[in-house]
Amino acid sequence: MLPQNLGSETNIKLPFSFIIFSLIALVVSQLLLLFNGQMMAGGAFRIPAIWSAAHLMVLGWALLAAMGSMYQLVPVAFLTKIWNEKFGFLQFFVTAIGISSFAATLYLSPKNALIPGILTLLGILMFLFQMMMTLKTQAKPNILTAFVGTALVCLFLTITLGITLICSLKTGAGAGHYQAIFQSHLLLGLTGWFTLLIFGFSYKMVPMFSLSHGFPMIQAKFVYGFYVSGLILTLISFLTGQNILLKLGFFLLLAGFSIFSWHISIIIRKRLKKKLDKPFTFAISAIGFGNLIHLAAFILLWTPSFKDLVGPLVYAYILLWIILSITGYLYKIVPFLWWTYKYSKEIGKTKVPSLKDMMNDKLIVPVLSSFIAAVLIIFCSMAIKSLILFNIGQIVVSITFLIIALSIISVLKK
Amino acid sequence: MDLEEKILEALKSVYDPELNINVVDLGLIYGLGISDDGDVQITMTLTTPGCPLHDSISNGVRQCLEGLEEVKSVDVNVVWQPAWSPDKMTEDGKRALGIW
Repeated sequence: MLPQNLGSETNIKLPFSFIIFSLIALVVSQLLLLFNGQMMAGGAFRIPAIWSAAHLMVLGWALLAAMGSMYQLVPVAFLTKIWNEKFGFLQFFVTAIGISSFAATLYLSPKNALIPGILTLLGILMFLFQMMMTLKTQAKPNILTAFVGTALVCLFLTITLGITLICSLKTGAGAGHYQAIFQSHLLLGLTGWFTLLIFGFSYKMVPMFSLSHGFPMIQAKFVYGFYVSGLILTLISFLTGQNILLKLGFFLLLAGFSIFSWHISIIIRKRLKKKLDKPFTFAISAIGFGNLIHLAAFILLWTPSFKDLVGPLVYAYILLWIILSITGYLYKIVPFLWWTYKYSKEIGKTKVPSLKDMMNDKLIVPVLSSFIAAVLIIFCSMAIKSLILFNIGQIVVSITFLIIALSIISVLKK
Repeated sequence: MDLEEKILEALKSVYDPELNINVVDLGLIYGLGISDDGDVQITMTLTTPGCPLHDSISNGVRQCLEGLEEVKSVDVNVVWQPAWSPDKMTEDGKRALGIW
């Protein structure tokens, strides 16, 4: 039995703090990439400027946007209030200072990144603790709890492996395992944390934004089973060097992702809202890109080109799956937060705008379409090592990111 | 127009801001009780459990009715059983959603 009369609104200043910081980090990361593009286009990813930009984008932008969204969505998805909002604000300051100083030291002096890294770790651990305490109060755990809970475990492992990498870099200890730890760090961060998190919340947000009813949920168990098994097998393959396990792991990841795509298409077909909002359709299209990248990775694994294309594939996975999903949903979440702040006390007394009125809808299609095209250009430039193509793509990506950041911030004027 | 009709008419000014359809046409109002003293009790639901607009919409219903002269107090009770389904919508609501 579901609880009656359950209010679920969070103090919007909490998710907003995370989201505004994430937008600033996004802009800075793009400027760093723009000024260091020549090295990345040449296939050099492991240089301080790229480390700094990558961590600003993945931690500063995607992680903080995900944290902010979780502060808003966890009460919605799990019908429980955030455990302690004051602790949430403290966690925001620790994480924001940690990530800012971490990105700065990665750029200026990577060997001194340990202390800022530990501060970032502390911020993430505080977030994990907050979420653990919040999820503990959920009356009846469900498959969404499994997705989000496993994503949180993967986040913990990712950051622990990241700290291990910095220690290894500083002291030289465990240098023989550096490659395996680095690969595991990437896998757990991208597929374990972000993908499982997006899977979990999609099961709440897709029916909510499309007003779908009467769809089956059995497929979600298969998505979880296949994807998590794939994740575990791939991790074991990194540690043991067993190529067959890597292929099997990639196959299971592909199978899990494909079932997810199929399941979401079933939910969308059961929708009552015939005309979907534009940002939401882009979040849905990100699922197609993610599925395609999983398929490409699995096929290329059987060819000698895999080694050369794994960097571009990871880049495309971050931009076209993770960031496109988060951006699409942010275009829904930010207007909602601002609307709640400004109009929730007015509703019923005076005429208030709808959520759609809070955002300039016309900008979204050209901006996000240009973003997708530019990422594909960058993907090709990395594959064929073309600096000119890379710079063209990166300039367009940076401009679209700036427009995205400004258009999301412009909601605050409504 | 009796008070019940007046209340339902007034509630048509409270919109779900995501769907831009009012709570009456959306079929969110399950029950309406009025005492002789003008105490009103509304039993309502939302389209999805844990809807992030829970507090906003239920407060909107309360604030809307508190503005009516004949109403002394308003009690809004949000329930999840029976769960909302599209067949609870009015024809106007279905048309606004593009179902018809």
